[in-house]
Parts: sequence; C-alpha cells; structure tokens
Amino acid sequence: MLPENILTNLPFPSEFAKKAEELLAADEKVLFCLVGDLDLKGLYNQSAVLTTDKRIFAFDKYHEGGVLIVDLKDVTESKVKRMYGNAMLRVTCGDKKVDLFRFTYSVASLADGAAIFYENLAKGNDPLKEVELVEATFKKMKSFCPKCGRALSSAGAECINCASKGKLVKKLAGYILPEKGTLLFCFFLSLITTSMALAPPYITKMLVDEVIESSNLKKLYQLVVTLLLIYMVQYTIGTIRGHYMRKAGSRTVTRLRNDIYAKAQYLPMAFYDKISTGSVFARISGDTNNLQAFMLRITQEAIVQAFLAVGIIIIMFSLNWKLTLLSLIPVPLVVLGARYFGQKISPIYRRIWRRWSSVSAILSDTLPGVRVIKSFTSEDRAINKFNSYNNEWLQEDIRASVLANIFPHAVTFFVTCGSLLIWGIGGKWAIDGEITLGLLVSFISYAGMFYGPVNFFASLNDGYQSALTSAERILDIIDAEPEQNFGEGNMVESLKGKIEYRSVNFSFDKIKKTLTNINLVIEPGDIVGIVGTTGSGKSTLVNLFMRFYDNYEGEILVDGVNIKDIDLQSFRSKIGYVQQEALMFRDTIFNNIAYSNPSATVEEVIHAADVANAHSFIAKLPEGYDTMLGERGTGLSGGERQRLSIARAVLKNPSILIFDEATAAVDSETEELIQTAIERLISGRTTLMIAHRLSTLRKANKIIVVDKGEIIEFGSHDELMALKGKYYKLIEIQSMSEKIRKNKEAENFE
Amino acid sequence: MDRIYIEYDNARITKGEGILLNVELYDGRKFENLEARRLFPITGLDKYITLLDEEGVEKAVIRDINTLMEESRENVLNALHEYYLIPKITRIYEAYEKYGLLKMRVDTDRGKYSFDVKNRNNDIKHLYDGRVLIRDSSDNRYEIRDFRQLDKKSQQVFNPYM
Ligand SMILES: Nc1ncnc2c1ncn2[C@@H]1O[C@H](COP(=O)(O)OP(=O)(O)O)[C@@H](O)[C@H]1O
Ligand SMILES: [Mg+2]
Repeated sequence: MLPENILTNLPFPSEFAKKAEELLAADEKVLFCLVGDLDLKGLYNQSAVLTTDKRIFAFDKYHEGGVLIVDLKDVTESKVKRMYGNAMLRVTCGDKKVDLFRFTYSVASLADGAAIFYENLAKGNDPLKEVELVEATFKKMKSFCPKCGRALSSAGAECINCASKGKLVKKLAGYILPEKGTLLFCFFLSLITTSMALAPPYITKMLVDEVIESSNLKKLYQLVVTLLLIYMVQYTIGTIRGHYMRKAGSRTVTRLRNDIYAKAQYLPMAFYDKISTGSVFARISGDTNNLQAFMLRITQEAIVQAFLAVGIIIIMFSLNWKLTLLSLIPVPLVVLGARYFGQKISPIYRRIWRRWSSVSAILSDTLPGVRVIKSFTSEDRAINKFNSYNNEWLQEDIRASVLANIFPHAVTFFVTCGSLLIWGIGGKWAIDGEITLGLLVSFISYAGMFYGPVNFFASLNDGYQSALTSAERILDIIDAEPEQNFGEGNMVESLKGKIEYRSVNFSFDKIKKTLTNINLVIEPGDIVGIVGTTGSGKSTLVNLFMRFYDNYEGEILVDGVNIKDIDLQSFRSKIGYVQQEALMFRDTIFNNIAYSNPSATVEEVIHAADVANAHSFIAKLPEGYDTMLGERGTGLSGGERQRLSIARAVLKNPSILIFDEATAAVDSETEELIQTAIERLISGRTTLMIAHRLSTLRKANKIIVVDKGEIIEFGSHDELMALKGKYYKLIEIQSMSEKIRKNKEAENFE
Repeated sequence: MDRIYIEYDNARITKGEGILLNVELYDGRKFENLEARRLFPITGLDKYITLLDEEGVEKAVIRDINTLMEESRENVLNALHEYYLIPKITRIYEAYEKYGLLKMRVDTDRGKYSFDVKNRNNDIKHLYDGRVLIRDSSDNRYEIRDFRQLDKKSQQVFNPYM
C-alpha cells in the first residue's frame, strides 16, 4: 500500500499507484514522488517518478510496460538535463544513461532536488537522512498562497502578491482621499454653478413669452440684470473652483509619483533584469498624469454632470413631456456608439503606450551611451532609430486620433439631429398654437445643454480606457513584489563574519542553472579569493549573499543565522561591496564618499579617502572635495573612481567585505595603489575577493575555484597548488603571460 | 577562427544518442553526439543552428536547415523539436484574470494545458510577423503562430489581454 501522507507535489495518479502497489516489496519504504506533466516524447501527459529506499519507479507510457525500474544502488550519477521549456531527469548506471522522466519547468526545482538526492545516495549517504533535504524542497514548493497560487517563501507566510493587491479602485481612492476636503468644497461650488446654469433658458422663456409679449420694459431690464449677475457669479465661482481642482490634482499626482519612486527603490534586482528603465520613466511621468486627470473627472465632473442631466430632465418634463421624449430619441444611439467605440479604441491606447515606452527606452538607453555612439560615429544611426520609433508612435497616435475624433463629432451630429426634430415638430406645434414660442426656444437650449452630460458620459469610456491602462501599469510597479524582508525588524549590531552556503542552487531563468549545489564554510576573518573563468558564476555567488536575488534553493547563513531571517537593510549595511564598475552619482566627491554614511564628519571622510589612497589625488583637484562629478561619475579616471568607491566602503565600517573584480579595469600601477588600500581595509574582516588577476590574491588564506556554476576546488593556495587542478593551471597560465609582459616591458625600456 | 559551416550536401547528419546528432563532413571528419541549438531562436527559426559537444564547445554551424539533404534535415528538425518545447497554441478555451494572474486554458500541438501568466505587459509579446510569444509563471514558453489565424472564439477570449 502507498502511504496516505506520501510526499508528492501533486496527487499521485491512481493508475500509477495501482501499478506501484503490485511492484513494491513488502519491506520497501516509499520516500517521495514527483508528478510531471510531459511524456518522454514531449507531449502533455501524466508521468511520475516514485522513489523508495531501494528503487526508482519511473512511470511513463513510453517506458516498456508503462514503468521503468532502477535499483538505487546501481545509480552512479544523476542529472537534470535542462532543455528549452522542458527538462529530463536522467540517471547513469555504470556506462548506461537512462532517461527517467520528462517535465516542464513547473516541476524543475523538485527534479533538481531528486537528482541531488540520487547522487548523494550514490556517494553512500543514508537515504533517510538525505530525504530530509528533498522534503524541505517539497515543503517550499507546497507552501502556496491559497488565493493566487503563488509559491510562498515559507509555509504560512503572508503572500506578498495578495497582501499588496487590493481592488484597483480602492487603491487609487487612497491617493485622492487626503484631498477630500478640497474636493467637497469644489463639489459644493459646482452645485451652485450647475444650478445657476439651469436658470438662463428658463429666463429666456420668460423674456419671450411674458416680457416681450406684454412690452414690460421694467421687467425686461430686471431680467437682463439677473442674467448678468448669474453669469458673473457662475464664472467667478468657476475660476475659484478650477484653481482648487488643479491644486488637489497636482497634489494627488505628486503623492502617486513619490510612491512609485519609493516603491521602485525596493523592487528586487530580478525586476530590473526584465523591465527597461525607460518604461519605468514613462510610468512615473506620463501614466500618473493620465490617471490623475481621469480621477478628477470621475470624482467631480461625473457627479456634476449627472446632477445637471437630472436637473434638465426634471425641468424639461415639467415644461412639456412630449417635447422631452422627442429630444431623448438620439440618446440610445449615443450610448450604444460609446460602447462600440470604447472597444475599438482601448487596444490602440495600449499600443500607443507601448510605442511611447519604446521611445523613452531609447532615450534612457542611448543618451548615457553617447560616448559609444560618438566613438563609432553612429550618430546618424541613433537618430534614425529614434526617428523610426518616434514615427511608429506617430502612426499609432494618428490612428487613435481618427477614431477619437470621429466619435465626438458623430455624437454632436446626432445631437444636432435631435434639435432639428424639436424644431421640426415643436415648431409646428408652436405654429398650431399648442405651445408658446418661449417654450420652444427654452427647450432648444435645454436640449442642447442636456447633450453636454450625455456626451460626457459617452466619452467617459474613452478616458476610462486610457486611464485603466495607465492604472494597470502604475500598479505593475506599486503591486510588484518588493524584496522579501521576512526578517524585518531583526536588526544586527555587527557580524562576526562566518559565512555558510548549504546546498545552494540558483538559476536566473530556469533554462540554465547558474549555481549548482554550492556548499561552503568561511570562518570569521577569512580572506577568501574567488577565481574562475568569466561567466562561471563568481558574481552571482556573492550577489546571492548580498540578497540581490532570493529565489535560490538551499540556505545561506551568516554567523549561523539564515540571512533571510535578518532585517534586509540592517544586513546590507554591514557589508561593504565594491564592484568592478565604480558607480558615482552626479554630486560632489565629498557627497559621493559620504554616500555610505551621510552623517560622517569631514575628517572621517578625509580619513576614509586617505585609507583608500584617494586623498592625494583629490587634494590635487582645483576644487578638491567640492569637485562636482558628472552623471555616473564622469570626470574621473576608472582607477580614481574605484578608489572613491573603496573610500565609501571604508566609511561604512562594514563587518564583511566583498570585492568583485575591483581592480580588473585599471592599469597595474593604479592596481597597486588600490591593492594596498584594500589590504588596509580588510584587516580582521571576513573578505570575499573575486579576482581576475590571481596576483591580487596574495593575502587570501583560502581560494575558491568556481567552474560552470560549481565549486570545484576549495582550500589554501598551497593546498590547491599541490592538487595540480584548475587553480594550478590558472596560475601557470597567468604567471606565463606575466613573464611575457615583463620581458616585453624590459625590452621596451632598453 | 575557422568555423565549419554546414550547408547543402557538405555533411551528413544522423541521429545519435537520445536527441543528439552525429555529423560526418564530406572531407571525412566526424563528430559524435552533438547537441543542436538555435542561434536565433526567435527571429530565425531554421537558420544558424549551432552544434555543440558535451562540453558545450561548438563544432559546426548549420547555415540553413532547409538546404540540407532530406534525411539530415529531418534529423536536425527532430532534434530541435525535442529540445525546444514551445507548444504552439491552437485554441484558447479560457483566459481570465484572478488575483493579478492571467489564467489560461489552451489546446496546443502537444496537448491541452493550463498555465498562469504573471504580468501581461511583460510576459506577452506580440511580434511584427503576427506571432505571439507567451511566458508563464514557471518560465515555460508558448507561441501563437498567427493570432489572426486562430478561430473567432479564441481571438475573442484572448483579445482583451493583447
Ligand atoms: N541578470 C542576469 N540574468 C540572467 N543571466 C545572468 C544574469 N547575470 C549573470 N547571468 C549569467 O549567469 C552566469 C554567471 O554570471 P556571473 O556570475 O556574472 O559570472 P562571473 O562573475 O563569474 O563572470 C553567466 O552565464 C551569465 O550570463
Ligand atoms: Mg563577474
């Protein structure tokens, strides 16, 4: 019998279960199952792997008899072969490779766990112990948010996706709410103006029917003055209201923008790997405006217009119900037309936006790269590319403009037809003496006014569509999952600096595994050199420690605590991280150094610059520490910028230091300067140093050799040299080329 | 570096182990168990197929599959079809939003399947040639060959999300 609480990702298919029960030996213990979604030929189908303490059962209709059985003790190797969109779990038994089971990426991380399990058994480990690791992977996969089905970081944790996601309207209402005082005031004002707008046609009727008829001059002047007063009040109030509305609107959009920007700061690196900064720009600048305009329209105009419409209808009905019905005839046409129009135009708005964000993307991409453009004399190409994107935007915009203009004019046309009806039929009634001339004239005015609200509500859909797309894109950012910070509030004073990686696996995109089964212990105070060819995963290894990416499997610990359990900001503030590219901001040198600790005193900054071998060159600059750097720190050489970034790290007084090829981009003389700066800085601190040139690792007491995402060698320099493996080879190659370089230099001097 | 380009009949490509290929060049050189990978998986499906050995080292490049001898062509196409699992969506039964995910139920050339799309602005791409590329929340890929060629119902179901 299969146990009830069997460890599996999905319910184990009953047809496989039946077969398994027949095949299982009495003393065989089922450890875990994997249920997959592809058959061996790559079609969607059920397949599964069941692992016991003795054997593996692979169920797939293409295995002979529907099941393939492998003895665990025959397995010598096990691997997940990743292909595009799918992968294969494969074991090697002696010299025979066996494909067990095929699956899409949905199951890939579990299969990785299984592969590691088989391998560890092949090494002779205890299955019951190893299965705990598999269990942990399953648990992680199994902790889904009950609402949205997304994986949670731990069972029972709050789903970041759902927690931040509310109803669109509710969310946006939050931005308008602080303006409710102003908005209520404006609303009150607009009630006054609206009621006043209802009066003039009625007064016209009085003028025509009573005053002119009876030649009452006194009353004529009275009414004209009344009209004048009404207009004056109406437009004065209109002006005041306009001002307050704009103020409320601008404040709302400012809040929205601040929020998006703040939110964008806390988004994980993985977000920025996928999205272009241009499209973030477009959201912060364009979409917020669009949305703001709409929110005001809906909160203010909509109510006012509805009020107006109801007022007019009531007055019209009280004047003459037959004429009223007559003038309402075109309304259904307008409403139906509006719906149709909305469906047509909304995809166009989306496309316009996409084009616009391409244009912004080009801007944010090429302007900072203007140096490259000039050096390849490709100004023309840049211009042409920009022109063509801009033109694509234009095409879409023109297309939208056609539609967007047809509609309101069609509405006006129908409305005009409505007034023709009133003239034609109502005119006859007036001639027949059924109604008065004044009534007819005022009716024409009311009918004209009535179509204001109708037009408004009809075209509201248009604005609604474009606002909806904007809102969605803004919520893309506001609702994006921020960096997970489960240890929030769990501050650390300082770190001793013991670092541990336990079975860490990581992949950026699931297609290719970037890090495989990393196990590592670094003691406090260790200076660890990390070497390997480019692309082997060195930077990724430390990026995981920096918590730039947290969707890895396994655990990373510092001082015995899972780094995910420590407050993110507190954790990062204890690490000094110096990258190959020293990125500075458009600010003074002083502020750039003090960036890591804005409360530092002048002398602390100078001291830091001194430690970093930067003070001497800064002192020589005409404007010293006040020198303003350009965008990204232009105006300094690469080596100088690098020393500033080391000064930053010094000022931060971190517990752990990470250098990612800090000296790769500088000449050997500057390298020496930087190297001595680094050596001064690292004393007593746990240091991870990724180095391109092995000669820079002279202080390292441990070396990690990374190759294709795996740690292949780990030990002291002497141990690794004795091993005569990859490290030995790398040293040989580099010392050889070093010799050649020295010889060349010597030749040149002679 | 001299790259070996395979085209027309300058090489014979036969099936090797699993999805791997064996290559025999007209000058007698032989390579066994190479893996075929597209160099342009999105823009040029049948052009520039690189052949890698187990270490990932390129041994040769096929310029255009369609110029190969019939048998070689079949073998390469089969290998690619196995490696690149990008189901072609032929029918869309359902597409609706729930809790911020776009849930889809579709029929493909590899059978029926259901999946979730996380973000429709980033995960659905409409190419100029009419193809639509979709990425699901597990990073699996799907393709609609030509949206306008789908049946009316499917178009209607999916249109709001394009
Ligand atoms: N943001 C990213 N998205 C996808 N793949 C990445 C990303 N960053 C790095 N990679 C890939 O991961 C692998 C390891 O990169 P990296 O750790 O930067 O190598 P190294 O620092 O050793 O030169 C490379 O194959 C690289 O292409
Ligand atoms: Mg790197």
